[in-house]
Amino acid sequence: MRVRARRVTQGLFLLLFVLLFLQTEQKGADQLGYPVRLFLDADPLLALATFLSAHALAGGFLLSLALAALTAVLGRVFCGWACPLGTLHNLAGALRRWRGPQRVRGWFRAKYLLLVFLLAGSAAGLQLTGLFDPLSLLVRHLALGPYPALNFAANAAQDAVYRADLKPLTGMAEPVFALLKKTVLAFQQPHFAQGALLSALLVAILLLNLGERRFWCRYLCPLGALLGLLGRRALLRREAAEGCNACGACDRECQGGLQASEGNGWIGSECLYCMACDDACPKNAVSFGFGRPAAPALDLGRRRVLLAGGAGVAAVAAARATPAFDGRAQPGLIRPPGARPEPEFLARCVKCGECMKVCTTNGLQPTLFEAGPEGIWSPVLVPVRGYCEFSCTLCGQVCPTGAIRALTPAEKARWRIGTAMFDRGRCLPHAHATPCIVCEEVCPTPVKAIWFEEVQVKDRDGRAVAVKQPHVDLKLCIGCGICEAKCPVADLPAVRVTSIGESRSRTNQLLL
Amino acid sequence: MERREFLQDSAGTLAALAAVSPLLAAAPAARPDLAVVHGPAPDRIVRAAVDALGGIRRFIAKGDVVVVKPNIGWDRKPEQAATTNPEVVATLVRLCLEAGAAKVKVFDRTCNDPRRCYVQSGIEAAARAAGAEVSFVDERRFREVKIPGGVAVQSWPIYIDLLEADKVISAPIAKHHGLARLTLAHKNWMGVMGENRGRIHQRLDVTLVDISTVIRPSLVLLDAVRVLTANGPQGGSLGDVKRLDTVIAGTDPVAIDAYGATLFGLTGADLGCVREGARRGLGVMDLGRLTIRKLEA
Repeated sequence: MRVRARRVTQGLFLLLFVLLFLQTEQKGADQLGYPVRLFLDADPLLALATFLSAHALAGGFLLSLALAALTAVLGRVFCGWACPLGTLHNLAGALRRWRGPQRVRGWFRAKYLLLVFLLAGSAAGLQLTGLFDPLSLLVRHLALGPYPALNFAANAAQDAVYRADLKPLTGMAEPVFALLKKTVLAFQQPHFAQGALLSALLVAILLLNLGERRFWCRYLCPLGALLGLLGRRALLRREAAEGCNACGACDRECQGGLQASEGNGWIGSECLYCMACDDACPKNAVSFGFGRPAAPALDLGRRRVLLAGGAGVAAVAAARATPAFDGRAQPGLIRPPGARPEPEFLARCVKCGECMKVCTTNGLQPTLFEAGPEGIWSPVLVPVRGYCEFSCTLCGQVCPTGAIRALTPAEKARWRIGTAMFDRGRCLPHAHATPCIVCEEVCPTPVKAIWFEEVQVKDRDGRAVAVKQPHVDLKLCIGCGICEAKCPVADLPAVRVTSIGESRSRTNQLLL
Repeated sequence: MERREFLQDSAGTLAALAAVSPLLAAAPAARPDLAVVHGPAPDRIVRAAVDALGGIRRFIAKGDVVVVKPNIGWDRKPEQAATTNPEVVATLVRLCLEAGAAKVKVFDRTCNDPRRCYVQSGIEAAARAAGAEVSFVDERRFREVKIPGGVAVQSWPIYIDLLEADKVISAPIAKHHGLARLTLAHKNWMGVMGENRGRIHQRLDVTLVDISTVIRPSLVLLDAVRVLTANGPQGGSLGDVKRLDTVIAGTDPVAIDAYGATLFGLTGADLGCVREGARRGLGVMDLGRLTIRKLEA
């Protein structure tokens, strides 16, 4: 009974997660109209890590406090009943038939040590938490990997049906695809660097469930560890009545991998409150109820904790001794509009991928090591993939930690993410006596940052040709990259944006 | 309509037009070549302009599938005058439906993000409220169209919905443009061209006329309720917008653009596409040879 209620609840939370995920898309208005970052906002781990690394309160700070308080009373109910990644773990685990008693390992302490490692790193200014936080991880990997792949599959199927032009089939299929397009598919096919890698990693994490159910939640999840610590004295507790004869039926079903049938085998911080033991007990002796907290049965070992914390601090030094931190500006590191100065940006960004998911043009792409190891999967604008839409401020709206500030339209119109410059050797009017000026046409600043000079040039035969040669007004260019994106020299555009002049930096400036 | 049929019709229309236009000029017809209507209410001036040309039933028959092609190219608001006035579009849609059109389609292949363009321009909401079917351009739905006698391009992919429509109404907005000087009726067809349109800028005026030889609208209505006088074609500053409260209607895109040029203190001869269109006999650029009816509404 309890299990069914739990599964329905899990399903509803997963559905809510998916709906909010799908709504994380440009619709044409200035605002999205949905609280798309709700799950990330409610995440106490992201809030704590942001507080430690950037000394700032995340946007959903109060919501995450509420979840922390709930956990202190009810234990890790979030893990068992609400976490969308946990639900996917349940589904993946159901692919295998489970027989016999579970192997019991002490490795569950690993996730606490990972948590200590991450938070110690955060305290020293290194924000790696988002890489392992389950909610950040799920949004990022879904958005950049499987979701684009799903779109590709659907679009390929639609194209095949369309090209085949089978009268009844094509006619019937088009409305179906139109409906899919309106509901679950993206407006345009997303393409992300490392998409296949991110898909593979998510699949690998889910496949761990075939070795042991909820492997991730038992051994790796740092949010599970934090909630475990918060909930280890929870008032909601598992109780075994007199009738228990330690038959072990509950142990076989336990998602936390506990051996609760043995005397003090139930560990509050490890229980996911899935209630499977309650349903499994043949004597109906197991129940969950409010009671006095027992002594916490969680001993991580002082040396190991110190070692994990030390490693977290040492990781900062290791990460910073890379070229990304040699003090030079990175030309290709074009951060989204509203991004904080790089050190603060890195301290806040949890690599959840929301900004990349919502980006109107698919221009925001995940970095690999361009921003150093700690910047992995943080957003960078790649103008040839997609430019920054002049009036769009969605990336700042969906950022859960304020790494990208939500800009007002007036701020956005003046915010520079970089500066465009011409490559005159490739530009048609500059080098090839051919009119063009597409860059000037698409330049969105109210007084165009791209201006042209009307000149007479000679072609090969010495004939005079009148062309308009484009130039960039460095004072007006905001680096949006639409000129680069639309340049007819499509492979390597004749006008390219680099990060210089970006509003967020004091040093990466050109003009006096 | 099949492509072949369409092309034959186009060629026929072309020939007829070339043959008839000098006659029209010689003997003033009851119907004007251009209707220029000024007034504060966009819907009223659109209706008055169409009525002055003989009424919507001259252009649209019962059961027609009609494409009304506005400029929705930019992520700008109506008051910024980078996109066709939504009320102008909606009124054209209503007129077609009043004439018994089976369906009126509205679309444009935008330069900025289509979702933002459709919403921010106000055109999607207005056209839909008027009864039109508003859709985003589907990149698969382009068909290669041969351009016999094309000077810069001999074929180009054109949007199928436009090719298959019974009637086409072109509804551009009058704007400044860096390369072409102005963007008026000729340039409106960029919004139904597929592939990489940036390349046509190398021979913009000639290419636009090439395209105009295969797309012959039943009616052209140039929106000059607000015009953009600088930093076109997308503007952004209200300081560059001039309120003219005018629409210009006709069937000859060359004549429309020649008149449109005068709104900016230019003449048709200042515009490459007008000169090229007139040279190829696609229309009349000499305003002195046209019957122009000016009205207040």
